[in-house]
Amino acid sequence: MPSPLPYQAPAADARDSIAVKGLAKVYGAGADRVEALGGIDLTIPRGAFVTLFGPSGCGKSTLLRILAGLEEKSAGAVTLFGQTPETAARAKNIAWVPQSSALLPWLTIRDNVLLSRRLNRRADRDPACVSRPEDADQVLRELGLAEFAHHRPAALSGGMRQRAAIARGFVQGAPLMLMDEPFSALDELTRDALRLRLLEVWERHRKTVVFVTHSAAEAVLLSDRVVVMTPRPGRIEAVIDIDLPRPRGRDAADSPAFDARVRAVKDTLRRGWEGEE
Amino acid sequence: MTGRSMREEAARAARNRAAAPRAARLIAPLLVFLLLAAGWQWVAFNLKSILPSLQSVGLELLARPGFYLGHLWVTLSAALSGFAIGSAIGILLAILIVHFSVLRAAILPVALMLNVTPVVAISPALIVAFGFNAVPHIIVAAISAFLPMLINALTGLRAIDRDAQDVFRSLSASKMETLWHLRLPSSLPHLFAGARLAIAAAMVGSIVSEFMGTSKGIGATIIMATAYLNLPQMWVSIFVSAVTSLLLIGLVDLAERALIRWS
Ligand SMILES: Nc1ncnc2c1ncn2[C@@H]1O[C@H](COP(=O)(O)OP(=O)(O)O)[C@@H](O)[C@H]1O
Ligand SMILES: [Mg+2]
Repeated sequence: MPSPLPYQAPAADARDSIAVKGLAKVYGAGADRVEALGGIDLTIPRGAFVTLFGPSGCGKSTLLRILAGLEEKSAGAVTLFGQTPETAARAKNIAWVPQSSALLPWLTIRDNVLLSRRLNRRADRDPACVSRPEDADQVLRELGLAEFAHHRPAALSGGMRQRAAIARGFVQGAPLMLMDEPFSALDELTRDALRLRLLEVWERHRKTVVFVTHSAAEAVLLSDRVVVMTPRPGRIEAVIDIDLPRPRGRDAADSPAFDARVRAVKDTLRRGWEGEE
Repeated sequence: MTGRSMREEAARAARNRAAAPRAARLIAPLLVFLLLAAGWQWVAFNLKSILPSLQSVGLELLARPGFYLGHLWVTLSAALSGFAIGSAIGILLAILIVHFSVLRAAILPVALMLNVTPVVAISPALIVAFGFNAVPHIIVAAISAFLPMLINALTGLRAIDRDAQDVFRSLSASKMETLWHLRLPSSLPHLFAGARLAIAAAMVGSIVSEFMGTSKGIGATIIMATAYLNLPQMWVSIFVSAVTSLLLIGLVDLAERALIRWS
């Protein structure tokens, strides 16, 4: 019989941060065994904008999906402001923004953005629920979608649909937003505009964001912290603080300081990972 | 040539290119239709025991439209009842299979076996069991409609966007909510594809079933025509049922267009 673990009071700041300890994830078994994450330790303070940056296959999506409770971990511990991912998901405390907008084509943009209110009503009475739903029309206005509130997704451009997906996340009012390469399917000009738009809206709401990207410039522009990851197995190579002043606007990316950070992020990755072109 | 006239020329060419296929779409089927009719008439004229002339078929229909409408109504109501029952069961089973994977192994083999069993082989048994009334024909129509609906509903309920599914899971949406707000609406195009096949199959099912144990319905008029070697009656029956099936499929299309307004 295993000896009972002594009771440990949660650390003083457990409720004010995301804590990942010794997190490992293995997919499959035998010949198909893939060690997607090999021992991840990470702390993210409340209100921070953090990006997971690294080449494809380094486990960014896996880490994000485990945070969201969408994937089981193989080992380690994860708490989101003191809750397990499962508890947090059951209480609608996590806003998930996927790679494609995943809007429901039969609903108007406004109804899409209100999806979190329509589903899992039980969570609204759950004492574990800490989300504070926001006004849909207000968020749509902030994202420049007010005129399209009553359109269906098919009437919108790819960039607008992605904005609607982000609006859906903010309207949920969850303390934590998880975004898996939400801009990767867009053309470069749209992507540039959308990054600034996201920053603007985020400044107003100040949710904790974990954002996955494989663009160093995007990571530096958006984040307080860049988590540089390397593959096989997925590990954290370094965590780089981005001390550029906020709010960051149109010309934030034009400074030598910005370029230096991008270079630092890329160099860090290169040190841990000899690219395999 | 000036730039302007070149542009006009290009625009005209584009218009012509667009117009040509549209005309072809109308003319080509018409041509095929005329060719078939001519071939038909040739056979009818030279080999009288094989096909009746088209005018004798037309005259037969005009002589007793009430007779055919009455029998068509019998067939149609059995087909529609069977379609409703068969597709409802098909959709329900698909929903069950999607949620309880053990059922898949239990249900699919039985469904496939039903599908390869010729309906003509079961209808005598059904007549013995249920008597000389509409029930055996409705059951055969339902069996015929069931499988195309089941297969298409299964495909549709599974073909849901992965990212949307993640959004639902991240909100801990219940299975019922996921079914109602995600699976069913995204499977509508597949359900309509299934309905198109199922309604035509139900028509065939009820007609074939009427070959036996009844004097009512289009199946019965075909059997009567065989007994009396009445070729015009036989072919009016066939045409009437084919046109009805086409109209039913058209109605499904209309319903689909009315319901799916987002694509
Ligand atoms: N569902 C899965 N089954 C098996 N292997 C997977 C699965 N998801 C991801 N992997 C593997 O895990 C590793 C990390 O994948 P992923 O987290 O998607 O990386 P990233 O998002 O950084 O590109 C890859 O080698 C990938 O092939
Ligand atoms: Mg990924």
